[in-house]
Amino acid sequence: MKILYINLDILFMFVSGILLMDYFSIAWSYFRVIEFLHIFGSITVTILFVLPFLYKHIKESKIIMKHKSMSGLMLGFVLFLLLLSGTYLFIIGNRGGDIYGALSYYIHLYISFVLILALVVHQKKFFFSRGFATFTSVIVLFLPSYSYSKSTKLTNIVFTDGAKYHHSIDWTNSATCKECHPKIFKQWADSNHRHLADSNPYYMVLENLAGMDKGEKFREWCMGCHNPSAVSMHQERTTHFMKDNVMPEPLFVKGSKNLINEYKAHPNRLEQGVSCIACHRITDAKPAGNSSYALNLTKRKKYLYEDSTAEMKVWISHKLINAKPKMHKSEYMKPLYKKSEYCASCHNEFLPHSGRQVVATYEQWKKSPFNNPKKPKEHKDCIDCHMTHLEKGKFSPLQGSSTLGGKYKKDIKVHYFAGGNYFLAGLKNKENESQSIQLLKTSAKLDSKIDKGVLLVGVKNVGAGHKLPTGAADFRELWLDITVTDSNGKTVFSSGKLDKKGDIEKNSIIYNKIFGDKNGKPVGLFFWRYEKLLKDTRIPAGKRVVERFTLPENLEYPLHVDIKLNFRIYPQWVTNIVKAAYPQLTDPPVITIKELEKQFD
Amino acid sequence: MLRLSLLAIIIVVVWIEILPYLIPKKTKQIYNDTMLRETALSRGMAPIPQEYDKFLKLLDSKNNPITKEKVALGKELYFDTVLSKDKTRSCSSCHMLGKNPHNKMQFLEDISHPGTKTDCMVCHIKDESGSDRLSTAIGVDEQTNPNHLNTPTILNSALAKYRMWDGTVTTSLGVIAPMIHGKYTMNLSSEKAEKRLKNSRVYTREFKKIFKDGVTFENIAKALDVYQKTLLTRSAYDRFLEGDNSAMSEEAKKGFSDFIQLGCKGCHTGITVGGQTIQKFPTRNYNHIIDVTGIFSRKYIGRETAAFDFNFKQYQRFPFENKGGFLGKNNQQLFRVPILRNVTKTSPYFHNGAVFDLREAVHIMGKYQLSMELTEKQIDEIVAFLHSLDGEIVEYKELK
Repeated sequence: MKILYINLDILFMFVSGILLMDYFSIAWSYFRVIEFLHIFGSITVTILFVLPFLYKHIKESKIIMKHKSMSGLMLGFVLFLLLLSGTYLFIIGNRGGDIYGALSYYIHLYISFVLILALVVHQKKFFFSRGFATFTSVIVLFLPSYSYSKSTKLTNIVFTDGAKYHHSIDWTNSATCKECHPKIFKQWADSNHRHLADSNPYYMVLENLAGMDKGEKFREWCMGCHNPSAVSMHQERTTHFMKDNVMPEPLFVKGSKNLINEYKAHPNRLEQGVSCIACHRITDAKPAGNSSYALNLTKRKKYLYEDSTAEMKVWISHKLINAKPKMHKSEYMKPLYKKSEYCASCHNEFLPHSGRQVVATYEQWKKSPFNNPKKPKEHKDCIDCHMTHLEKGKFSPLQGSSTLGGKYKKDIKVHYFAGGNYFLAGLKNKENESQSIQLLKTSAKLDSKIDKGVLLVGVKNVGAGHKLPTGAADFRELWLDITVTDSNGKTVFSSGKLDKKGDIEKNSIIYNKIFGDKNGKPVGLFFWRYEKLLKDTRIPAGKRVVERFTLPENLEYPLHVDIKLNFRIYPQWVTNIVKAAYPQLTDPPVITIKELEKQFD
Repeated sequence: MLRLSLLAIIIVVVWIEILPYLIPKKTKQIYNDTMLRETALSRGMAPIPQEYDKFLKLLDSKNNPITKEKVALGKELYFDTVLSKDKTRSCSSCHMLGKNPHNKMQFLEDISHPGTKTDCMVCHIKDESGSDRLSTAIGVDEQTNPNHLNTPTILNSALAKYRMWDGTVTTSLGVIAPMIHGKYTMNLSSEKAEKRLKNSRVYTREFKKIFKDGVTFENIAKALDVYQKTLLTRSAYDRFLEGDNSAMSEEAKKGFSDFIQLGCKGCHTGITVGGQTIQKFPTRNYNHIIDVTGIFSRKYIGRETAAFDFNFKQYQRFPFENKGGFLGKNNQQLFRVPILRNVTKTSPYFHNGAVFDLREAVHIMGKYQLSMELTEKQIDEIVAFLHSLDGEIVEYKELK
């Protein structure tokens, strides 16, 4: 009778394991439960029943009775292999970083068939007499397990299409991703994508201003890209965290410590801003802009306990994912994510009431020489610059594994999201700042000559696949800072200096665009009032512009010319306004993208 | 042995799965708009009047009649920091309101003229919430409340029966003296307050005009009380009760119906939707309950009790952190029921401001007061209803 039980145990492990094969591709709701039952059921059954029995059985037959059984030896060996590979899969998993994972996986899978064969051979006599009983018991044992999985409504995570209601738990907190993807989390934690909403003082002030100016509903326009999680929850505005009576410093804390602490204390509280899942659960994206992406949060295939917050369950879910991470990968990584159209769903903005284009970064890229699908070597998508690691001012792809124990990659797409905004990320983390500044420095080239008392300065956009500057370019300052000294060291000409208040002096050459409202007045912060374009001096990709500066007459040569192409993310007047609500904010530093010093004889 | 244990597991799992179908469901009445209105009105809920005479009927008292001049004086005092010991706090520091609540451009003015307001105020003054949006109140000398008590909103509080978190004060006039004298609020004695106002020529003149006996502490309180009484808000909910079916959204009406039928209105009742009774919180104690319902059920994910959990946690008096250790009236966990009008603007919630999320607060109330696991949809609807309680301060022309 005992042998029958052991056979049932082994059959249980075998059948539950086989069902997990890709070949059967069973419904996800069954899969996640069966995977759990297979792994943890096998551990329990093996330790409690199979191993004690084997010990006794081997002792009796080999040592006391001195039986010689080839099939027994074979069965023992196969079982040993299965135990070994199973233990490896449980403790370390098949994460892709080492060959042993995959090896264990295949051994575990195919040897199990050998085991069943060996089992039959080993108990020929026994099998045929009791085979029928075994078979029927197995059927009886496994039927109920189907009966509870059948009601997909209860085990399945599927919501109806176009889920109307989201719960904050649908927005898996980014802090949970940290456990297995610590490097990526660290990069993202201080990046601009993380700090797009509640922890971005400029955004908070502007969203409030938009709500005041165009009505509270208008906030949704901002939130579609800046704060998708709040939109899905029908929240009307972006709210910031409070810890007791203070706002946990959103500006200077490194590594998103607020988020992690908040998650520990209140795991169900909604994470705002662009979280891991906000991008990695996008199923479809159109380059139209204004958050033109499709999110699928609820129809996600989650491993058992993937969303849990209890430590034990989190541990179990890690085991389940690591043992067979295929589904996890395909759920969170899609080929779409490498295309520029994907980024364009947000990095293209237009006014909903007039259709006027406010930000057209994607269109600029489309027209640029960077968009060249015919020549793959010249073709560069957004991520080829903005998500590639830089070192010493040059692109040098980061090598290694992005996941703990994961596959070795030659080019990890880093999540610093380097770009124009070096400032807010830099307040928290110098590495993020340095990535952005290095990228900025690759963008332009300067040249100059003097012709008949006129200083000619050429600025060429060499590195950016879009205009320089792009984005909400009213709030970006790219300008030429020029100093000319004569042979005595006396400054004879200067342009583009900062005055005492921190503003760029008048009549400087600034590359930006200026929006005007319907009366032709500059819109200032109210960029949604844009009707007429007052000025557009941005430099398109690959183009060179020439600026002329008339020098005073009768100069003593040789002249020393110092030309700087400076960049500042927010003009001083914008920062001053934001400081009214966030007094702790500092002024953004000026970055010199390129400097050219030249002697003219 | 193995077969038995497997059988046991199967039975348990099947039982858990079919249980939801076996439990009889309480039939819920579906109200149409008229029925909903009638039910609400018959249970003591009422709109805040728009007409001045109705307002007077509701709030005027013989001892302290409401007059235009007195309201103006009260308003002056409400925003004046002279009534606090170190002249840094006024009533409006904690019960934050704009001097002109209908100024839509207030925010723009404040950000372009920095220094006129504290940083939080710059954004939050336009909430018109009558509370400070902080966890706990900050009084003179930057002292926080020793019991870590949260500032309740002043809006509509004149219509409440009880005031303060333990409900000790029962008249709107009675609440003013303890606020001015309180060590952690404004900390100014009656004599000093009188002396300070007597030093001001403007105040002396104004007081003489309105009161026979000029500046006395009693008169200060009376003037403030009258101003406080004018701080009433009207919202979509009031318009609905007055007969406008389109005022509230369908979702909010469903929430309203739930609000009545699930039992919320048992405590949050009256014209103020709360503030009329003192109740125990929490009435249910889940500290030693092992709950396994919904191990495999998607429906219950995200709830505290329904997720498979052995409650190993420490005994908790409240379903949130017991900051400040305040235990309500007679230390029996008896609290004044908060006013729900404008509740969406007065986060954080509960007496110590430990809960920041309205949905979480609704969930806690359902679970700990009514023993109900509200579904996400129910919470959504109730929150939509609470949104319809958001109002704007009523301007009575007669007082302008």
